[in-house]
Amino acid sequence: MELLKNIFSPLTQIKGRTSIILIVVEAFLALLLWEIVGQNGLIPVPSKILTSVVSIVTSAYFVDNLFSSLALTFTGMGISIVLALLVSYLSLIPVFAPVAKFIVKCRYLTLTGLIFLFTLLTQDGHQLKLSLLIFGIVPFFVTSLLAIIEAINVQEYELCKTLRMNNWQTLWEVVIIGRLDQVFEVMRQNFAIAWMMITMVEGLSMSEGGLGTMLIKSNKYIDLSTVFGILVIIFALGIFFDFLLRNLRHWLFPYTKIQVKK
Amino acid sequence: MTSYSKNEVLIAVKDVNLSYDKQILRDINFTIHNIVRPGMNQGQVISLIGRSGIGKTQLFKILAGLIPPNTGTVLVGLEQQPVKAGQVGIVAQNYILFNHRTVYDNLRLAMKHDSITLGDKEKDALINDYAAKFDLTEHLKKYPMQLSGGQRQRASIIQQVLTGNKFILLDEPFSGLDALMIDRVMELLLQVSTLDELNTLVIVSHDVENSLAISDTAFILARQKDQEGATITETLDLIEMGFAWNPAIRENEKFQHLVAQIKHKI
Repeated sequence: MELLKNIFSPLTQIKGRTSIILIVVEAFLALLLWEIVGQNGLIPVPSKILTSVVSIVTSAYFVDNLFSSLALTFTGMGISIVLALLVSYLSLIPVFAPVAKFIVKCRYLTLTGLIFLFTLLTQDGHQLKLSLLIFGIVPFFVTSLLAIIEAINVQEYELCKTLRMNNWQTLWEVVIIGRLDQVFEVMRQNFAIAWMMITMVEGLSMSEGGLGTMLIKSNKYIDLSTVFGILVIIFALGIFFDFLLRNLRHWLFPYTKIQVKK
Repeated sequence: MTSYSKNEVLIAVKDVNLSYDKQILRDINFTIHNIVRPGMNQGQVISLIGRSGIGKTQLFKILAGLIPPNTGTVLVGLEQQPVKAGQVGIVAQNYILFNHRTVYDNLRLAMKHDSITLGDKEKDALINDYAAKFDLTEHLKKYPMQLSGGQRQRASIIQQVLTGNKFILLDEPFSGLDALMIDRVMELLLQVSTLDELNTLVIVSHDVENSLAISDTAFILARQKDQEGATITETLDLIEMGFAWNPAIRENEKFQHLVAQIKHKI
């Protein structure tokens, strides 16, 4: 009874098992409702989507497409994080600050209008996809990283001075090493953007395959069960990588676990 | 009265003025001498007392060499050289430590600069020695987020001591502490001040009673009538007054009278 009262009262903290039960029950009810109401509708019901997921996952072409998407995402993410870190750290040197500011503003540039330019600048479909992915991610990465740097308490820099560190040592201690955990968190958050963009860029050059290619092809033939099946796979993989990166962060930077607990 | 002498000047603040859009500090002048007592390492504990918003933090930063005054100089050490950032340790009100490093690593970092020539083993021994003295041994492997406020404060003070700084500024060290903790902090500060003859603690605080109780000299920072900017309006030689180096001084009636007077003045 107390539990029922708690889950409906505002600002009540629900933790551990109760929270998991709540998620599972709500998800089950939503799927059940969808299954019952959607029987005669255009959108496939969960049982059909599940069958489709099984059929996609067990198909011969799935693994190749999955690895193609993962390889592209990880390569794009890797290059993007290196570029974004470089730009963000360099932004602390006055001469590079305008470049960083311009890159931040590039968030408002639409990729669609630049596809032709990128096609001219790149040599093949793979490079085109990769460069568009990087161009799409880097401004978001840089924005988040600059926000982290701006939020640093000035007392940390002062502490470095009292510990007789020079500017380079201070940069290393406070901005680079001291914020590595937050960089990792930004990476986790922006992985979602990269994962979302992958389907879009894969549609531009379908020769290498990928989950995006599979999605576009199924959309073309209005094979909605397969479309939803692929969406479920993309969604589940996204959640899995999010979970993986979050736990990896706690493992690499144990103090972040303490911060979460507090 | 305990015999003592005031010898060399350790810190001299001369004609310091600071203004931004309005005057913050005006004609700040004071000197801190090396107090010598026979048979012991008698460091100096000085208080800069003023009410909130008077400009204490700005003076704190000027003394630490973190911001330059508009005019005037701060000279430190036996050589009386203009202060540079790093020569004076600071313990901020919120006891800043690097959250990504353990307490041990934070302390170790304090001894990383070139002027400390100790080997790794000697550095470890020194850390362990201070940790034992200040009740931090069992917390060395913890991260700062795992420490209580008092433990963070102790770690922060030791970090500054390990840097080799003889001069340490403490911003509101009694702020937010209960009566029992205040007594422990006072003990700790006295312990630090007597580690070396030249150790000089400068407490910047609005807590009149506790600041006066621990100090040998106090400077009152206040605004004078019709004048912009805070200045030193009074210097209290607590040794001459018979109030210094007495752990039970807060119970003394004359001392309480002095505290009431100063509270009225600031």
